[in-house]
Amino acid sequence: MLSRSAEGLYWMGRYLERAQHLSRLLRLQTEALVDRPVGEIHFGWLRVYGTLHRQPPVGSLELLAQDDYTLADSYTLADDLTFEPTNSDSVWSGISNGRENARHVRHCLSAEMWTCLNRTYLRIQGMTIQDIWAASPERFYAETVADIDTFAGVAAATMYRDEGWRFLNLGRAIERVQLSSALLHAQIVAAELTHDVSEVAWTGLLRLYHALEVYDRTYGLTVEPRQALDLLATDARLPDSLARTLHRLSAELTDTAASPDTQAAGAAHRLVGRMSALVNYAWLDQDDLKALLQQLTAHGRDLHDLVTASFFNYPLHDVPAR
Amino acid sequence: MDFRKYELDAHIYDEMFHSDGSARSHYQGLHQALASTSAADLGDIQEQVTGSFSSEGISFKVYGDEEGDERIIPVDCLPRVLSAGEWRELETGLTQRLKALNLFLADVYGPARIVQDGVIPVDVVRGCPQYRIEMRGFEAPHGVWVAICGTDLVRTNEGFKVLEDNLRVPSGVAYMLANRKAVKASFRRLYRASRVQEVEHYGQVLRTTLEELSPAGTSDPTIALLTPGVFNSAFYEHMFLAGQIGAELVEGRDLLVDDGVVYMRTTAGLRRVDVVYRRIDDDFIDPVVFREDSLLGVPGIMHACQQGNVTLANAPGTGVADDKSVYAYVPDMIRYYLAEEPVIANVETYLCRNPEGLEYTLDNLANLVVKRVGESGGYGMLIGPHATPAERTEYAEQVRANPADFISQPVLALSRAPCLIDGRIEPRHVDLRPFVLHGRETRIVPGAFCRVALRRGSLVVNSSQGGGGKDLWVLEN
Repeated sequence: MLSRSAEGLYWMGRYLERAQHLSRLLRLQTEALVDRPVGEIHFGWLRVYGTLHRQPPVGSLELLAQDDYTLADSYTLADDLTFEPTNSDSVWSGISNGRENARHVRHCLSAEMWTCLNRTYLRIQGMTIQDIWAASPERFYAETVADIDTFAGVAAATMYRDEGWRFLNLGRAIERVQLSSALLHAQIVAAELTHDVSEVAWTGLLRLYHALEVYDRTYGLTVEPRQALDLLATDARLPDSLARTLHRLSAELTDTAASPDTQAAGAAHRLVGRMSALVNYAWLDQDDLKALLQQLTAHGRDLHDLVTASFFNYPLHDVPAR
Repeated sequence: MDFRKYELDAHIYDEMFHSDGSARSHYQGLHQALASTSAADLGDIQEQVTGSFSSEGISFKVYGDEEGDERIIPVDCLPRVLSAGEWRELETGLTQRLKALNLFLADVYGPARIVQDGVIPVDVVRGCPQYRIEMRGFEAPHGVWVAICGTDLVRTNEGFKVLEDNLRVPSGVAYMLANRKAVKASFRRLYRASRVQEVEHYGQVLRTTLEELSPAGTSDPTIALLTPGVFNSAFYEHMFLAGQIGAELVEGRDLLVDDGVVYMRTTAGLRRVDVVYRRIDDDFIDPVVFREDSLLGVPGIMHACQQGNVTLANAPGTGVADDKSVYAYVPDMIRYYLAEEPVIANVETYLCRNPEGLEYTLDNLANLVVKRVGESGGYGMLIGPHATPAERTEYAEQVRANPADFISQPVLALSRAPCLIDGRIEPRHVDLRPFVLHGRETRIVPGAFCRVALRRGSLVVNSSQGGGGKDLWVLEN
């Protein structure tokens, strides 16, 4: 497959994963605005911005004791994260960039995938934070999550399982590892910064990853932060756990055709192995999970570079021609 | 819907109605269907057709347009209909014309007999900016310089005429297919009853054509479609066609030439490319040979082409044959090379490079369309009757300064076809662009991109100038 097309699919996967993950976080956060105390809302924003390594537009995130201020700030923050076009991590940017990449490689997608994604894009075009805020912002985020889930389902049902499929999934998996390790890290940091974090902050995290019921069945109804983190990282039966995502990543990388740059490709395989080892073998005995998660994030960045070097942008001299 | 207010004009051929107001026989089906459809239902159909374009993202870009990147082409839901007999005549004429044009190209880049025999003045050929001296002596595979041609045809009371041969990178075929898909789905019963000839196999025919032109010795050729990129106005079509013909969609930066062979960069290393369906102009295709500042092209691809290691379709240099001055000589070419009379007429054309042509043009500016020979897409032209005296004076100065850059033609009464405009059926001017493919033989899919000037009274059908599209149905016998 043409390198540039493969790269387009890879980025399409990354952007859509990013938009979906953020929409899930914002859905949780806007739900909290209905009934949670300001301390928890504050915790939630710390967590979102920590995950994105982004500075909020309202300056520092201070804990405001009054409801009114918290809600006014929340409006600004949600706008920044949802519709701000200059924020490359916003939901709008993720969907627009994903769709733009799809437009470049549309001939590599099934017709159903394109139509599905284009509808998602058209739905949010021209929308503003005012449009979604008054009635039910969480419904907007839920719909966006569902749209991207639908897209993934349509892709799984209709896309030919060629190189393009693997690069799409490679992009999604790498983005997912990055986002999950960033979120777990931000959760720990925000919990340290915020006094009296209630259990809701942790049940929310579990819900975000469809893991609350599983947790309740496995560990009981009281959520212990460490156990929640262990479940989200290491349980390979959980669709979005780090262990499962890394497993998927490894499989996609193994299935891609031999790269012309065997050195870079070999390094990529070994790096995924090290990342898996961190999650599957080191995690449970590790006390300092923040350090481990940071290491995982750094490896993820390197992995992206290696994939780019192996398949998209390899040096042209000494490459055998077919 | 009724047609009581539908306007007929004896000077303008109406596609649907005879001058006495009765429907032409091949339009009976549509006429009856419309008569029994309410305005509201027709509005729904129009909405459905437009909606399908929007949700499928069938877009184009207008240069100089600040409003975002993509526009949806306006589409009219009412098909234009041609009878089998009308189509057969067009098919014969288009085949004849492309055959002559290919012989002309082989000749002007070879022995130039037509010039030596005085049929076409040497200045007209050599003075044409699209004449590529670099192509002298090039032998196109099977003599096919133009593999894909999109001929603009118009109809007047005198019959069909060729308005323009587009022999470089003609576009619009994706709209032909998109219009068909959308309109067919909206007029289901009528479509079935009308027995319309299919166009959906265009991709296969194009693939076959390109395969037939692959360099000698290649069995299963690798085909790539070369696009200038996503900012090109026709990018949607490039992407769409790449998918239809099973080609990789490449940009210049994806290709490289090594030792006279073209390769593309794939995830598994370099892969040889045998046929390049290029949708990028000559000027930009190879910075080594043509414009050296081009970032869109592939250094060395012309060398590979001349060595016969890769086929470029269309071949570079074909622009000399669709130049607006050379156009005037196409009927003579047909007589010269084929010893036949042209089946489809040309539009009467005055070359300002000739003193008598210049004089006639300047004297009759108010009644003529004046075009710049190097421009296309409806840019840079003057429609005399619609221009103000000041505009005409200014334009006349430009013509006097560089007469060779201009030609003029009478303002044609383009035929009109019924369109749905603001809930009513009104006539609008139309043309059509069928696509003629030539590999080992000529193949024409029975359909066309039918363009329509949606603004009342307007004669300009270009999509970059407010034109739209409609489906064209060619009926079976």
